[in-house]
Amino acid sequence: MKLSISRYNPELDSKPYMQDYEIALVPGDHMLLDVMLRLKQQDSTLSFRKSCREGVCGSDAMSINGRNGLACITPVRNLRGTVVLRPLPSFPIIRDLVVDMTNFFAQYHSIKPWLENPEPPPEKERLQSPAERDRLNGAYECILCGCCSSQCPSYWWNPAKFVGPAGLLQAYRFIVDSRDKVTDDRLKNLRGPYRLFRCRTIMNCAEVCPKGLEPSHAIEKIRSRMLNVEPSGGLDTHTPPPGRP
Amino acid sequence: MVKCEFTGLAAWVVQRAGAAYMLCFAIFALAAITVHPRPSYAEWKAWVSSDAMSAGIGLFLLALLTHMWVGLRDVLLDYAKPEGVQRASLLLIGMALLSVGVWALQILVHARA
Repeated sequence: MKLSISRYNPELDSKPYMQDYEIALVPGDHMLLDVMLRLKQQDSTLSFRKSCREGVCGSDAMSINGRNGLACITPVRNLRGTVVLRPLPSFPIIRDLVVDMTNFFAQYHSIKPWLENPEPPPEKERLQSPAERDRLNGAYECILCGCCSSQCPSYWWNPAKFVGPAGLLQAYRFIVDSRDKVTDDRLKNLRGPYRLFRCRTIMNCAEVCPKGLEPSHAIEKIRSRMLNVEPSGGLDTHTPPPGRP
Repeated sequence: MVKCEFTGLAAWVVQRAGAAYMLCFAIFALAAITVHPRPSYAEWKAWVSSDAMSAGIGLFLLALLTHMWVGLRDVLLDYAKPEGVQRASLLLIGMALLSVGVWALQILVHARA
């Protein structure tokens, strides 16, 4: 298997460059991450993040043949020719495939991703009806890998001002949560030309989400909610395509 | 001092409502011309200068100009990074669109005179 991987050591290199590798596949190489881990045994200077190895933590998000995805759930059998691996587009590179996600998480934090409810808590827990719970479907499953925001042109142009698809999906998750009581404040926080309305419905976010979520749909529903249209049901989801050639 | 703030929701609503109106008006105008052609200038002028059509065309122009303003403003907010360049470009575009609007209004008023 041939790979071309973006390399960058800030102590040695003035800019990133592509390095070619060739590695023979073995029976245990099911996912791209399996191959990368064996590659790292050959070249210990190669840097990338990984943790759970099963598409839950989102650590190994990267650009795979020009399309963001998780190396750990990208089947090797779907990859043809030379596999080109680059760090998540637009995120500052720390080293090789490791990117700085500070701004990404600052935007996530700016939507206050926690429940706010000034009412006295009940003795046991705040209950939801099944219909209220259904509204969270398609939003709570986000693993914050950054694939969507990194593939979003609107986020490329205004990363400091536009919350980005991942943050807005989470904003929606708390806006529609029946246990949260500061919906007006949350909507007010997204008014203005930049934080929500930079979205041009390009839908790269839905296209690359490794969990099959659709942040663009959440953004559309937030806009509707601003016009006092109450959301019903959960968000659309789709089966994410496995790694493409 | 009044601070000029860009809008998000209002601009989005105006652009989409304007687009819906323009689509409806364009379909109506095409259908009206197809069903009842007005080959002479006098017939055409009489049709355009009626109260209902003048109002309809005036609204169409307003929708078109506001739609253009929001669209071009979005392009500049995305791509024109130095704030001075962004503001100057927006001012120029605003003045140009306003001029076009005044000119079109003059034509409508003259048609009715």
